Amino acid sequence: MGYLAGFKVTFKKLFEERVTTEYPKEKRPKPPRFHGRHVLNRYEDGMEKCIGCELCAGVCPARCIYVRGADNPETDPVSPGERYGYVYEINYLRCIHCDLCVEACPTEAITESKLFEFSFSNRNDAIYTKDELVVGDDGLPQRQPWELWHEGDDLATSGWMRATAPSGNPDYQNRSGWSGELGYGIRSPEMGQHDRPEPQETDNETEEDGHSGVSH
Amino acid sequence: MSESTPSEISVTINGVQVEAEPGEMLIAAADRAGVHIPRFCYHERMSPVGMCRMCLVDVDTGRGPMLQPSCMVPVADGMSVNTESEDTKRAQEGILEFLLVNHPLDCPVCDKGGECPLQDQTMAYGPGESRFVEEKRHYEKPIPISDLVHLDRERCILCDRCTRFADEVAGDPLIHFTERGNATQVLTFPDEPFSSYFSGNTVQICPVGALTAAPYRFKARPWDLEQVESTCTTCSMGCRVAVESSRNELVRYLGVDVESVNHGWLCDKGRFNFESTNSSHRITTPLTRDNDDPRQLLGSDWGSALALAAEAIQQAGPGRVGLIGGSRLTNEDAYAWSKFAKSVLGTDNVDAQLGDGLSAEVVLALPLATIAEACNADTVLVVGPDIKEELAILHLRLRGAATKGQTKVVEIGSTPTGIEPYAHRSIRCAPGESAKALSELLASDDPLAAQLKQGSLVVVIGRASLAESEEPTLSLAASIRAELPHATFLPALRRGNVRGALDMGLAPGILPGRTRLDQPSPALSANWNTVPTTKGLNTTEMLRAAASGDLDTLILVGADPLSDFPDRNLAAEAIQKVKTLIAVDTFITDSVAQADVVLPATAYGEQGGTTTNIEGRISRLTQKITATGSARDDWMIATELAWRLGGDLRLGSKEEIWREIEQVAPSHSGVTLERVESSEAHEGILVQRSSIELDLPAPGTPPVADGYGLRLVSGRKLWDAATTTTYSPSLQPLAEAAALRVHPNDLQRLGISSGTDVRVISTRSTEIITAIADDSIERGTAMLPFNQPGGGANRFIDAAAMVNDIRIETV
Repeated sequence: MGYLAGFKVTFKKLFEERVTTEYPKEKRPKPPRFHGRHVLNRYEDGMEKCIGCELCAGVCPARCIYVRGADNPETDPVSPGERYGYVYEINYLRCIHCDLCVEACPTEAITESKLFEFSFSNRNDAIYTKDELVVGDDGLPQRQPWELWHEGDDLATSGWMRATAPSGNPDYQNRSGWSGELGYGIRSPEMGQHDRPEPQETDNETEEDGHSGVSH
Repeated sequence: MSESTPSEISVTINGVQVEAEPGEMLIAAADRAGVHIPRFCYHERMSPVGMCRMCLVDVDTGRGPMLQPSCMVPVADGMSVNTESEDTKRAQEGILEFLLVNHPLDCPVCDKGGECPLQDQTMAYGPGESRFVEEKRHYEKPIPISDLVHLDRERCILCDRCTRFADEVAGDPLIHFTERGNATQVLTFPDEPFSSYFSGNTVQICPVGALTAAPYRFKARPWDLEQVESTCTTCSMGCRVAVESSRNELVRYLGVDVESVNHGWLCDKGRFNFESTNSSHRITTPLTRDNDDPRQLLGSDWGSALALAAEAIQQAGPGRVGLIGGSRLTNEDAYAWSKFAKSVLGTDNVDAQLGDGLSAEVVLALPLATIAEACNADTVLVVGPDIKEELAILHLRLRGAATKGQTKVVEIGSTPTGIEPYAHRSIRCAPGESAKALSELLASDDPLAAQLKQGSLVVVIGRASLAESEEPTLSLAASIRAELPHATFLPALRRGNVRGALDMGLAPGILPGRTRLDQPSPALSANWNTVPTTKGLNTTEMLRAAASGDLDTLILVGADPLSDFPDRNLAAEAIQKVKTLIAVDTFITDSVAQADVVLPATAYGEQGGTTTNIEGRISRLTQKITATGSARDDWMIATELAWRLGGDLRLGSKEEIWREIEQVAPSHSGVTLERVESSEAHEGILVQRSSIELDLPAPGTPPVADGYGLRLVSGRKLWDAATTTTYSPSLQPLAEAAALRVHPNDLQRLGISSGTDVRVISTRSTEIITAIADDSIERGTAMLPFNQPGGGANRFIDAAAMVNDIRIETV
């Protein structure tokens, strides 16, 4: 009977709460600063935030971003100001999701969603073009055929844009530094680093992301 | 300072003793000593103004340290300077805080962002924060001040660099400060654009993004540019440039400051014609005639196109083949074609010039001056084309020298030129009679005659008008040699590397190394299969022979005789009569469209090598981008053709070609590949030796004009229908339509009002052209630019005539 002793752990675990999930049927909530694939945001009036400045491409350590700027058409401007990004491509075979592009972006145009489950069948699909990256008219990322989405995954978009408040200046704590965003409006300010509650695993991601005042 | 200035002054900069020259500004002395003082307005090629105050440093001249702008303070003996004192730092922080009061923070969309002196110096010397919270000054975002330059007044920090450049260097004071105080801004005069040939330089020297170039606007950011140093081959000045590309596409040229040539400046044509290299109109594959429809050129492959070309050359035989062109190529490519024609084909019918220059034997034999010598000579005699239009940077150098009083510019010509306002004397003569005018001047008791005879003299010589034959210019050269034997020359020739092509023997009767056919160097005899014994035909003679059926195959190497040869009718007849026309080119020009075999060649930026400028200075070209389509370097095409004709050029790379040139060309011996590739080539290596004796023909007299006709004068304009301009979208609209300029009295006599269309009749053609009254044109002459869109002067010119007359009639 000695061998039964070996099952002691097994039987004990049978009655404990399971830590594994039935992935991919079921997904666990992602941490607040999870780096998924990018989205290109738009202002509340629908204008694109990207100005084609190429700072993201310049800072990218994997050199996976290709941006080209162009003069905004006078009659039908794409973004506010003189310049807009007319080519914007990210190669996800190269991207290491370091988020430096998000840090570098002067207009909060590029942020990362929590979407990461994509399986391409060719290399061209791995290069997301601007049409695929830019958010739809509801401010939510556009689903590509090769991406695995569950309901509500797209709501967890636009993670933290910056690791800290602007320039880490404590004066900006609790002051909203973001501009209005299509589908989200003005987002509530990021809390100071010290009065932040201990991170907890909750199932309500949107609150954790700092989105508030907007119903989905 | 009251004390007398010693020849050498010693100042102490940050505790280090520095020797300086009297009159030198402190900032320049610090630069030489390796101490960088931040600055915005100071530019070493322009006079100091002390506008920006960024270069304030602590200067102690014995009265205690005091903040002074180092760009305005000349060095004095015993001066003690501290560029890192607390006071200096506070001043720098203050100045930057002030400059940023109104400077918008739109760096992410600014073309300068990433290479901006204001950005860099704010990072290095700025306070880090601004106390200014009020609204910044606002102006309309970029306004075009010319077709090529945009001005954003919000970004301007009023450093006076562009306005100083326009006034002092370019001589086109079309931009200036307007308003006062907080509203001070740089602006053009109302309704008068900044249409300077040199406007692109203001973009390069602008320390912020206030002036941006339309062709580069939003094309790239500085951090994705790759840069190589090269030499511009737009004209034969050989200005040093930095060629910049992004993603294998040329996006920008910047002038490189080279003391001996361009001082960092470029003309707008040279600066912006990179667009043509990127053009989608480039020839990308070999083309041959469609068998079913011979009017069509069809895409082919290199093998069959080269076989066709070789077959045509073979059938024609050496006596009935001619090669025109080569002056757009590198020295190495020109040498390969020269060796191909003279050693493998065995023909001497080669000419790099298109009947618009001077005989190679004269060009190669004239005692050469340098550009620097011209700028420092007592007198510069300009007899030739309008150098502002054709050698714009030479104009800039001579203008600068003349306005500073270093030299006196004297010009002899029949039409107004760009250098005239700065000339000590402008002598007008009838077309073709410049030699007579000079002789009359020298025979007179004019003080200028004495100056020409005694002082140092550099003559800028070239074909003033393409409606004149070469003869009047040669007569002039003969009389200068006879009466002013001490004169040295700068031949004002057309097309980028014409000098190099002639040096490499792309001319009848000439072998590589400035030697005649009968004096080949031993190395050349050993290396070449054959050397032609009899002198061949030049372009005019070749076209004449072709037109009368004496040539079967014509090879055009980057040449377009239909547009560039002075006599279009002769060129058209020749091209029509010749059995096979082979064209090696980058674009389908008028002549290439008539070719039977078209071989695509690499363009500027796609090839390396060397080029030679008008003064014989050899400088390097660097390849920056890969060739378009299957285009090949010219030397490869020549080698391949030679091989198919049963010869072997034994040339395997540009480096190998240069080694061979150094061996076989007596003028170039000692200019080794190692020297060419060393840092010495930054300034260029001067090669002025020649073994050709000058032999000038006896002068002839031009025929007397009849009372009815107008004597035609035709020169090129900077903006014309040249291939690179036409295929550069930004430059193409700058070329004015063809118009005939005539003195108002001559028009009045015929009852024609200015701006109306007239019928122009010459012995060659009758065409309708707009006539414009212009009282700067002498009576009895008419000026028609050579190659403007909508009609060139070459339709009216008879290459056989010494001068050409036209008649005009009402339509």
